[in-house]
Amino acid sequence: MNLPWFKRIGIFFIPTAIIGWLILIGGLAYGVYIFIDIDSRSHSISDTLINFVFNLLIIGAVYSLIAFLTSRAVKK
Amino acid sequence: MKNFEEKLNQITKPKVTYLKHQDMLANAITKAKDKSVISWWWLSIPLYLIAALLMKTIFMPKTTLSLNIHDFTSRETYSSVLFFIFLPIVFIVINFMSIRNIYFLSGSPKSISFLRTAWFNVLMIIFSILILIIYSL
Repeated sequence: MNLPWFKRIGIFFIPTAIIGWLILIGGLAYGVYIFIDIDSRSHSISDTLINFVFNLLIIGAVYSLIAFLTSRAVKK
Repeated sequence: MKNFEEKLNQITKPKVTYLKHQDMLANAITKAKDKSVISWWWLSIPLYLIAALLMKTIFMPKTTLSLNIHDFTSRETYSSVLFFIFLPIVFIVINFMSIRNIYFLSGSPKSISFLRTAWFNVLMIIFSILILIIYSL
């Protein structure tokens, strides 16, 4: 495997390889899907946002964990 | 003999331009910052939950934060244990180890100025302790 896939800038991990970009796009697509799903079941804007932000934080946490684990160069 | 003295004068202390220790310290600081960022993302979940429950407490009369947290715990037992107990304890340990590592690699300085490099780790430890305290109320 060619690591690293990400590099850290501040509190964000930015992709540096194609696989990294695919993970980021996958995360964003899942976020959009979750938003549409929550919005279809919620009764107000605040209801949508409260539930969506919680899910968004979980997606961000999982993404950052994957990025952290794959941002290290393999020692030779 | 004179030749030997000249040679002796020419001999100087070896210059070490590259210190492996510097590399280790830089690596430890980078790792500590990476870990503090991970801590931030994962601790933002229980902090968000506490903020949401606090809002609920403000807008719903005759309720308290601890009552709302216990209500949440009874509904979401595993999630609450994960977010309010397991994650803060894990991140306290991880960040403490990172700070300790930087402290020893910095040559165990007497002052706490070295904490400037690891202030975000300290902040994460404070947040973790805060979450544990709020949950145990």
